[in-house]
Amino acid sequence: MIWTLRLSALSLQISRRAVLTAALLFSVVLATAVLALTLGSYPLSPADMREILTGGGTAIQQMILLDHRMPRILTALGAGAAFGLSGALFQTMMRNPLASPDVIGFNAGASCGALVAMMLTGGMVLPGAIVGALITASVVTLLAWSRGLPPYRLILTGVGASLVLTALGDLLISRMDAQTAADMAQWLIGTLNARSWSDVALVWGGLLLLAPTLVWLHFPLTRLGMADDIATGLGMALSPLRLALTGTGILLAALAVSTAGPLPFVAFAAGPIARRLIPNGRPVLLAAAATGALITLLADTAARAVPMIQLPAGVFSALIGAPVLICLLLAQFRKGTL
Amino acid sequence: MTASTLSLPRHSPTGDLRLLWLGAALLALGLLSIAALSLGARATGGAEIWGALTNYDPDNADHIVVRNMRLPRLIGAGLAGAALGMSGALIQAMTRNPLADPGLLGINGGAALGVVLCILVLGVTDPAEFIWVALGGGLAASVLVFLLGGGSQANPLRLILAGAAVSALFLALTRALLLVSRQTLDVYRFWVLGGFDGIQPATLQSLLPFLILGALLAIIAGFGLNALMLGEDTAKGLGVRTGLTRLTAGAAIVLLCGATVAMAGPIAFAGLIVPHIARWAAGPAIGWSLAFSAMFGALLLIAADLLGRLALFGGNMQAGVMTALIGGPVLIWLVRRNGVRKL
Repeated sequence: MIWTLRLSALSLQISRRAVLTAALLFSVVLATAVLALTLGSYPLSPADMREILTGGGTAIQQMILLDHRMPRILTALGAGAAFGLSGALFQTMMRNPLASPDVIGFNAGASCGALVAMMLTGGMVLPGAIVGALITASVVTLLAWSRGLPPYRLILTGVGASLVLTALGDLLISRMDAQTAADMAQWLIGTLNARSWSDVALVWGGLLLLAPTLVWLHFPLTRLGMADDIATGLGMALSPLRLALTGTGILLAALAVSTAGPLPFVAFAAGPIARRLIPNGRPVLLAAAATGALITLLADTAARAVPMIQLPAGVFSALIGAPVLICLLLAQFRKGTL
Repeated sequence: MTASTLSLPRHSPTGDLRLLWLGAALLALGLLSIAALSLGARATGGAEIWGALTNYDPDNADHIVVRNMRLPRLIGAGLAGAALGMSGALIQAMTRNPLADPGLLGINGGAALGVVLCILVLGVTDPAEFIWVALGGGLAASVLVFLLGGGSQANPLRLILAGAAVSALFLALTRALLLVSRQTLDVYRFWVLGGFDGIQPATLQSLLPFLILGALLAIIAGFGLNALMLGEDTAKGLGVRTGLTRLTAGAAIVLLCGATVAMAGPIAFAGLIVPHIARWAAGPAIGWSLAFSAMFGALLLIAADLLGRLALFGGNMQAGVMTALIGGPVLIWLVRRNGVRKL
């Protein structure tokens, strides 16, 4: 069952299964978010939440829900969606799952920037990380550029940058005193502890600003999956398109890192997982955003569920994402479709 | 997934050029070895080196430095480099993906997890005792990746996804354990840099069988991989047992890489970049590419270890850091200069 939407020159094909899967994904995200709001050392029932949101409840309940849990969960969803979108943009554009921002050096750049900032100023970790990620992304893109942005050049350059920055980061950690090294080890994994409404505003504001661009880029993106000469034959200007996609992907990755730190694996796994849930992977961006948001939220909830110690969410993002990807791989293998 | 390689425009190596490269590489290896034995905090001349190797005097300080410190480092770096280069050439040929790195098989991740568990549970702090856990962890992780990646029917994309998933899983576990224990982090953050500091001849001896077996399997797998690069069906038509070839190549990669991680910790980069340079010098035929990868890998790591030892970097920069610092810019320069050509 396939519907085709036409709007002058644009057409969009939607299959029933894609709509159903996307709807299911979004309901799962929503349900998980509500569940995460109720869980914690101070449990709140859905009825309590309704009351607090309509201005009732005790002062403590209001503080817990409105000042702590809601901003944290909304930030997790926004940052996860940004990671997922960024990963899917790069992976689809470059036709290679290795082209996700965390593989081609953005996370390594963020970590390295944070460490350098810590070394030089004894603080300024977050600005350092954002500057590190942006510098890395721009330098990798510039170095890989040659009359366009050929996929392999971008990935190879990115992997090279990633290796150098990872080594530099390891080196910096080995030159720090034990206490600072331990503190940095916490931050470098990515965490959503102590998030406020300003983080929510930042990440969702950024997503809203980029939304029109994403909708527009969505049309050529699926066709970029074909060989270059075919795409060119279809009348697509590859270089400007790749540059626009890369810029958007970089902004999304920076947005995610600035609100959740360099969470491992979310950007890499969201796309492949979404692609295996939805037939022929469309609409890939929406599905990847939902998948990224779900992985991040689950990771943060798992981190909150561990008592006594404040574990960072990054410990769980790979622990949750990797088995899912592995199971999907195994299922596809049994069906013989991969 | 199309394969491509770094190459100079219109450069296709002929037999003569290949032999020229081979000679140059061997010469460089010889010169570099002499430099590695004579340079350092205590410069030693040719006579002392010769004496230390042929007529060892346990009371001569120069002899002790050369024989007990520099020679094991030289041999270790050479073996590790050759092993990493070969395993890189194999995995790139097997997955037909020039971006594949032996680390993708989860070997580094598994080894790191093994080491962290060893520090945490057994309280071991001496890197010399990490060998067997690193080897075990690396082997276990790579077998897991290989099985998830489809075993002997491994298709390239699946293998890469499985490898990335398992690596990420192990890395996350490692990091979680490091957060729990400050003492563990304190030992681990030095091991993870990767290097040949204080390497023992006994370590080299115990790992040598793994390396030799790995190299033999690599050569055996090479015959089938040549045909596999023409595509699955063509290879089958030529009578190659593709599943067996992949299995042999996989076993070779695991042995070579596992032994290297056990010896020197995770060393990034050599396995990714060396095969590209080797293919550029020797062409895509896997036999030559293996031989050249082994030589260039040895050259790279001996040079990295030597540079790291020199006063330039405070005399104490690990080889693993050096390979990344040298190799990263080299890779980017190659990409920029040559562009990427489809194979």
